[in-house]
Amino acid sequence: MANQPNQPNRKSEKIRRANRLIQTRTFILMLVMGLGVFILVFAKLYELQIVRHEELQNKALDQQTRSTEITASRGTIYDRGGNILAISATAETVFLSPLELAEELADEETTWTADFLVENLARILDVNPESIYQKMERTYSQYEVVKLRADEAVANEVRTFLNENKIRGVYLVTDAKRYYPYSTLASHIVGFVGTDNTGLYGLEARFEEELEGQTGLVVTARDNAGNDMLYAYEKYYGAENGNDLVLTVDTTVQYYLESALAEMVDKFEAANGATGIVMDVNTGAILGMASYPDYDLNDFSAIKDSKLSSAVSSGKLSLAEAQMRQWRSKALNDTYEPGSTFKILTLAAALEEGVVNENTTYYCNGYINVSGERINCSGHHRAQTLKQTAANSCNPAFITYGMDLGTEKFYEYMDAFGLMEGSGVDLDGEAAGIFIAPENFTQLDLACYAFGQNFNVTPIALIAAQAACINGGYLHTPYVVEQVLADDGTVLYQHDTTPVRQVVSEATSAKVRECLEYVVSNGTGRNGQVTGYRIGGKTGTADKGQTGDVVVSFACFAPADDPEIIMLLALDTPARDTGTYPSGGAMTAPMASSIMPYLGINPTYSADELLGADTAVPNVKGLTVAEAKSRLSGRGFTCKVVGDGDTVTDQTPAGGAVIPGKSTVVLYAGAEKPTDACTVPSLVGKTPAEANVAATNAGLFLRFTGTTASTSGTVRVLSQSEDVGVKVPAGTVITVQLGDTAVTD
Amino acid sequence: MTREEYHAQKALKEKRRATERRSYEASKGSMDLSFLLLTLLLTGIGLIMLFSASFPSAYYESGDAAYYVKRQAVFAAMGIVAMLVMGKINYQRLRGTAKMLLGFSIFLLILVIIPGVGITVNNATRWLGIEGVFTFQPSEIAKLGVIIYFADSISKKKEKMEELKAGLLPYLPILGCIAILMMLEPHLSGTILIVGIGIMMMVVGGMKRWLVALGFGGVGAAAFAYVKLVEAGIISYGASRILMWKDPWLDYTWTGYQMAQSLTTIGSGGLLGLGFGKGRQKFLFLPEEHNDFIFAIVCEELGLIGACLIILVFILLILRGFWIALHARDRFGALLVVGCMTQISLQTFLNMAVVTGLLPATGISLPFFSYGGTALALQLFEMGIVLSVSRQIPAPRNG
Repeated sequence: MANQPNQPNRKSEKIRRANRLIQTRTFILMLVMGLGVFILVFAKLYELQIVRHEELQNKALDQQTRSTEITASRGTIYDRGGNILAISATAETVFLSPLELAEELADEETTWTADFLVENLARILDVNPESIYQKMERTYSQYEVVKLRADEAVANEVRTFLNENKIRGVYLVTDAKRYYPYSTLASHIVGFVGTDNTGLYGLEARFEEELEGQTGLVVTARDNAGNDMLYAYEKYYGAENGNDLVLTVDTTVQYYLESALAEMVDKFEAANGATGIVMDVNTGAILGMASYPDYDLNDFSAIKDSKLSSAVSSGKLSLAEAQMRQWRSKALNDTYEPGSTFKILTLAAALEEGVVNENTTYYCNGYINVSGERINCSGHHRAQTLKQTAANSCNPAFITYGMDLGTEKFYEYMDAFGLMEGSGVDLDGEAAGIFIAPENFTQLDLACYAFGQNFNVTPIALIAAQAACINGGYLHTPYVVEQVLADDGTVLYQHDTTPVRQVVSEATSAKVRECLEYVVSNGTGRNGQVTGYRIGGKTGTADKGQTGDVVVSFACFAPADDPEIIMLLALDTPARDTGTYPSGGAMTAPMASSIMPYLGINPTYSADELLGADTAVPNVKGLTVAEAKSRLSGRGFTCKVVGDGDTVTDQTPAGGAVIPGKSTVVLYAGAEKPTDACTVPSLVGKTPAEANVAATNAGLFLRFTGTTASTSGTVRVLSQSEDVGVKVPAGTVITVQLGDTAVTD
Repeated sequence: MTREEYHAQKALKEKRRATERRSYEASKGSMDLSFLLLTLLLTGIGLIMLFSASFPSAYYESGDAAYYVKRQAVFAAMGIVAMLVMGKINYQRLRGTAKMLLGFSIFLLILVIIPGVGITVNNATRWLGIEGVFTFQPSEIAKLGVIIYFADSISKKKEKMEELKAGLLPYLPILGCIAILMMLEPHLSGTILIVGIGIMMMVVGGMKRWLVALGFGGVGAAAFAYVKLVEAGIISYGASRILMWKDPWLDYTWTGYQMAQSLTTIGSGGLLGLGFGKGRQKFLFLPEEHNDFIFAIVCEELGLIGACLIILVFILLILRGFWIALHARDRFGALLVVGCMTQISLQTFLNMAVVTGLLPATGISLPFFSYGGTALALQLFEMGIVLSVSRQIPAPRNG
């Protein structure tokens, strides 16, 4: 069988040829199968791994990696006291997969019905069941949002419901929701975020980059079942939480400011709302800045103001217009003709340039002719000192000061006060002022500019300039963001309070303060007085063109000798028939006075003022009438004895009650103390003395605020804290605001 | 017992002893060391790559990441023992088993298609045995049967192979019968492989040249025509296979998924690969990643360079195998080796071609790499046959 080696070969030629054929063909086969085919394989591998590497690698990465976004927590916004104005919290978005739900519902093993699901979802999420049905019909879709950013509690309820009933096809994804704990407070400063959590308005928009943080990304290798692969293939791009903002805003100041605006608008039926700014005069830090109408940051689309919403429902305004109206900050998005509060600047410039000094006098005829035009004054002030021209807000006098400065100088000062380029406040949308170009600036223009008419500025730019007039001459950029803090508290940014420039000298500034204090103590600003405070200020009543409508305003600062804060209140288009003369001194100054005690300035009382200050009534029950009298008079109270006993059996008010000093305490010596409630009498419009009599007769106490130091015969009660006819316990203290009703500017 | 009888018996014994001695002398040469080492090297690399490729599936399915590789290692060990034993045995002894083995294979192939006997996986009834414990494909044994029978038969035909009657007619019915049985399973790739091996052995054995040319030309033309007809939409049978081969992303989520994943896997490896064990596609993306598509994982993890190195080892093994065939002591040995090496090389090439998208998808495993104990053990046994033949290579004559 087997051929044996080394044996004589007896094969025939044919066999040898057959063997050679095997050898040849084996060799060919060897080359083909051992080399040839693998060259083909190599060529293909080269194509796939080198030529198409990138394309295929991307395809691989697409399916292998699951990138999970780590939402960066948006920065928190704090007020200056650490109160939270805006914060992000976890929320969950509920969505359903119509496709999956349809499959589930078609499944025989499914125990729940569509109705059951919709009914419960609608109940838990407080959404319209109809809308859920509609979404479920979109079976081509796998993602239909049922509720965007539900609170955690609601989300948990949904989760429990889904788990208990083993429902597949409804899911929750974690998301962040922005909360504004103070809802309406500082709404125009804080602003809000849209549905995608990016800032749309206010600081939320302005500081978007700081606040948003860096969304992190975890790229995890995942298997085809969606689980992480067995070993760690992970790239982690850490989420950087947004930075926090610490504002200069003080929620207390802001609250009182906003309340004052709302009250003013309501009381004087201001057609175009109001605005107010409270600023640190020495730094430009904004303690409060408000605009009315305002809105609820947590529900920014809803029209908050009832007038606006009724205008929308009656079709006068579109919803979008109304929204824009309430989102606008009149403090910086709008400009206005400032009127007489601008005279502060004219005065400062005139003093600085030496065209006037404290000895300047001016005689007012009731009008002045400029370039052939007659400009009337609000009064006929006759001979006045410099202080008095300010206190009277005498237009001819200030026109004269302006003319004495000359167009060029005057324009220079407006520029130096920063009115031309705007305040530069760190908020979006500051409007530019509107001025006549310097080359067209005539004497007549100058005359109007000198008392604050015929040009427009934003309240924020104006208050910055006014602050420069009284703080020693330094123009500061107003700002609301004091610090930007990193997530770990590192200070990333600290506002630099270096002034932009010094516009007037310290000495000029001191003279301006003196004049303005005089305006409040003796002039049109006397309604701005507050017991315990030295206040300087300037009223303004600016004509809005020839319409007869006005913008009434009041700029004031305290303490007058060494100012800490400056406040500007402006009320746009108050009604002319509210019983209050539409002027800054009559409308805005009392409001300024009412909130002044809450602006964080320590009052300093004179001895007399201290007597009038609120005092606790000592308990004198059981004492002899004489002893009680001496005890009470020692605290500045006067006594009224009812009954003829020797010992005090009862007293009104009871011991411990805090009532205004100098009030009358009623002592009952044997006589029965009346238990019926007292009826609040009408006090508005009465003189302080009349009001006091009316109150005492009714068994009530009065606490006066406002123009208490004024001796003017035109001081009347402007408002009372308890409404007329209301029954209150005897001895209740009623706060009444006094004001001078005759101020015309 | 007469004296003559005694002498005759003694002479017979003597003659038998002489034959055995000669046979022993011939077979006591040493095995071809480089072929042995290459085989062991490939088996080792194969096992390691199998571990890398299979551990995610193994983990997900059984919780034991080494489940597949452990089982494979047992068969590899058995296969290596079988290889070394076979290497020691004189391959001439295989001649006697040829007919019996072929008959047995056909019996098993019939058995497997009897409903209820064979084990069905993915609509194909290819396995015998106890599911989950031990299964094997009769077609693997049939390969061996065909190789040994064809080598035996063809080597005896010598020059008669050129005649149609002797060289072609006896073999076509065998191949046809096996092919029909296997297509009933169905098992297209196995059929192609066995028919391919048989035809290659017939070609090498001395088939007429014009017949060879006609055969290859015919097959090539038919394949080309088939592809063109499918593209033209005239033939729909197997159409998706062809279309997905052209662009697997056409139907990525369904019929093209396997191919698209394979190409993605290979392509993402790039030049240097992701690193051994660091492949990602085996995480349930690439189906059959430890079977037919293990080469894609190799390419992904080791890159073009690593894949080429492994291909190089295959090439060296194949070249060395054919070198042994060229130097075999006789026609039988040469044809045996040609059969074994054709099987290894054809299977290797077809597997790589399918995985890389060079040829339309069909399930062909990669020798030494793919999971499958019987197949591995039998491949190693075949390598044992090659080694056995290598031992009888006549020493080069000096001068």
